[in-house]
Amino acid sequence: MTYAIETIGLTKRFGHHTALNSMDLAVETGSVFGVIGPNGAGKTTAMRLLLDIIRPTAGSATVLGRSPIAGGAALRKEIGFLPGELLLTGRVSGRSLLRHYAEISGPVPPQRVDELAERLGLDLSRHVRQLSKGNKQKLGLIQAFMHEPRLLVLDEPTSGLDPLMQQEFLQMVREAQHKGQTVFLSSHMLSEVQHAADQVAVLRNGRVVTAGDIASLRASAVRRVYVDITDASADHIRTALSALPQLGDLSVTTGDIIQVTGTVEGHIDALVKAIAPFHVVDLRVEEQDLESSVIDLYAAEARNDK
Amino acid sequence: MTSSFLPLTRRSLAGSWRGLLGWTAGFAAAITLYIPLYSSFAGDDAGFQSVIDSIPEALASTLGFENLSSGAGYVQATFLGLIGFALITIAATLWSSAAIAGEEEAGSLELTLAHGVSRVQLMIESSLSVVLRLIWVMAVSGLLILGLNESSGIEIEPVNILGGILALLGLGVLSASFGLAVGAMSGRRSYASAAAAGVSLAGYVLNSLGNQSADVEWLHNLSPYHWAFGNSPLRDGADWGALGLIYGIAALALVVGGFFFNRRDVAV
Repeated sequence: MTYAIETIGLTKRFGHHTALNSMDLAVETGSVFGVIGPNGAGKTTAMRLLLDIIRPTAGSATVLGRSPIAGGAALRKEIGFLPGELLLTGRVSGRSLLRHYAEISGPVPPQRVDELAERLGLDLSRHVRQLSKGNKQKLGLIQAFMHEPRLLVLDEPTSGLDPLMQQEFLQMVREAQHKGQTVFLSSHMLSEVQHAADQVAVLRNGRVVTAGDIASLRASAVRRVYVDITDASADHIRTALSALPQLGDLSVTTGDIIQVTGTVEGHIDALVKAIAPFHVVDLRVEEQDLESSVIDLYAAEARNDK
Repeated sequence: MTSSFLPLTRRSLAGSWRGLLGWTAGFAAAITLYIPLYSSFAGDDAGFQSVIDSIPEALASTLGFENLSSGAGYVQATFLGLIGFALITIAATLWSSAAIAGEEEAGSLELTLAHGVSRVQLMIESSLSVVLRLIWVMAVSGLLILGLNESSGIEIEPVNILGGILALLGLGVLSASFGLAVGAMSGRRSYASAAAAGVSLAGYVLNSLGNQSADVEWLHNLSPYHWAFGNSPLRDGADWGALGLIYGIAALALVVGGFFFNRRDVAV
């Protein structure tokens, strides 16, 4: 098994603040790997270390078989990077900016830029400072993808993109994977990476809380459920549901339409079967924000340690 | 060949030509306004020297006005030592602080460095862009002075115009090198500006203080301004030793700046 990215005890401290705390990560060549975590978890710090924009306090990283510092400019030519905070300024057109990056990180196949711009619906003749946030993000994606690098490092790639463009982005990631490229991307929402990534690591306070394949992570995720029921008594419903061990934070209102809310850990199968006898007028299942999911995972790990 | 020749310098120049045009006009205006006034204002027969003689000596020496009656003295006192020096200091301060620290504060440096560019290459190409712009405004200035040499009656030896321009360019490059180096080391535009303007201003002040009396004349030894102009390059020709010192220190500052730039975290 070869790894496109491998970090061992990678640590970055800024003064007294530890942005990344002994991160061990292995990203298989040709895979799509997602890093998720709340803001400030260390995702951006990890990516900047891989690009040699900042230097580690301790530990080591290997990117495409080389250390980021020793690999230097030659290594970075083989990486496409989308920064989390993409600040594009200047009185130049998108096309001229891309030509500039192509000069330093190329070669870019002919027509490649136009093809990507067309897919994402971006007008390359406009000055970059006039572009909206979403359009700047598209320009950022193009400069990362255009030279078909062996490794793509994308910090919050879908931020600012509308759902249609998010779909297009996912398609671009799949195509990159088909060509043998490795994709390392970050998000603060599990739902954003679940369609793209094979493997996921959850980062919190600079540490990898958990890592694994998407399916097992989703199975352990906590979801919030909303059920609206008519023609039943609140007590009856409460009795039927309180027996479910996966259900927490149960609340049942009274009235014509009885609103039931709660959280479900793991599969929702048992809940669906438990409400089946009632007249259900609405059922919604929402993934909780990652912060809560991660706290849940974190707590679970702490329990296992005991 | 995947990368082309000096991509960062070319991009920087392409992005700054409008500003450079304005600066060129500024230098040209200063020269075309001041130099033609020489014959009516400060020539042997205009009697201006007697006015200069009447103002306090300390003030005259601070402003470098002791020797206005020769063409070389006039151009030195008005353009090279005063307006031109002020303009090139401002230009060097703005350009050098914008080059690396400005890009870093604007957020574009992170993406540039994530591409196939080394820190050293970025330092060299950014510095080259600033130095080329300084050379351009000084070349235009030198040619304008040469063009007005006969008609205005300043009658400076053409080779000495080159010597004077190289001296002023040296002060500009020195100022810019400190701005570039401090910007590269700190990533702060304000620090870079302070360093670039500070080195010019300190040289000027040390020179003026050194002019005041023989007791403090030793201050001249510390003043790049005095190294550049103390030997009256427009009258007596370039002082190659002094020029070597000025350009040498500028190069050293860039090397030191690049050394630390290569070792620090960017955009944090």
